[in-house]
Amino acid sequence: MKEHETIVQLSIPADAQFLDIVRLTLYGLAAKMGFSYEEIEDMKVAVSEACNNVVLHAYNGRSGDIHLRFEMSADALSIVIKDEGKGFDYKRATKQAASLSGKPLQDVKVGGLGLFLMKALMDDVRVTTKGGTEVRLTKFRHRGEGEHAHECISPSSVQEQA
Amino acid sequence: MDQKQFRLVHDEQPDRHVVYIKGELDLAAAEQFQRTVEPLAGDASKPLVLRLEDLTYIDSTGIGMFVALLKTRHQLGAPFAIENVPPKVRRLFDLTGVSYFFSEMNDASERIGGQS
Repeated sequence: MKEHETIVQLSIPADAQFLDIVRLTLYGLAAKMGFSYEEIEDMKVAVSEACNNVVLHAYNGRSGDIHLRFEMSADALSIVIKDEGKGFDYKRATKQAASLSGKPLQDVKVGGLGLFLMKALMDDVRVTTKGGTEVRLTKFRHRGEGEHAHECISPSSVQEQA
Repeated sequence: MDQKQFRLVHDEQPDRHVVYIKGELDLAAAEQFQRTVEPLAGDASKPLVLRLEDLTYIDSTGIGMFVALLKTRHQLGAPFAIENVPPKVRRLFDLTGVSYFFSEMNDASERIGGQS
């Protein structure tokens, strides 16, 4: 674990009705860190895509949980989405993960879009499958770019507030 | 009014079905969306228009359902349009490459406009 990292954890049932809670939590933490509105919107979609995969594929209709871990460091926010299910087939999805651009309508399949969006919207995506699936999504803070940069709250001040 | 709360308003006009999609269209809202919109998608007698100006969130779940609707309408040879797309939703349409299909539909929406 990196130094000066603040961790927030959240566990929810793997049920779609709790996904808005994940987005609200993410919004709160990312705004505290000084991410822009657009960056936060991107992260909301990427994290929801990872959670959607857990809800739809991990537990085969049995009940189970989604464990979220928000790792806030000085230069990045990483969101780890973990389940203890049989696992979404990310290897297969990676082969399908592509934009639909330029395909004829009858050939369009939306299966790989979730993973494609995670990769397009985040700076780094790592998937580990071992006793469940763990997806780690990272967004770096691009300090000095954009007018929001001067409003950034340092992780230490976040810690003091907590 | 909660901006995030998912709501659908179906406005059946004499010459078309208009469905206003409001709030967050996520996996939790998918069933309600399908229940309301699928029967309308099967009605080839009238153009179907989705209005998105109050849509505050969408991900691959919603985009997938829009593409499925587009395919259904295409097979029926029935007009379909998606209108008033907010910029952040447009961005996801662009990224995923579905803008191309939906812009083709906007030609259809112009035709719809001509009929009304």
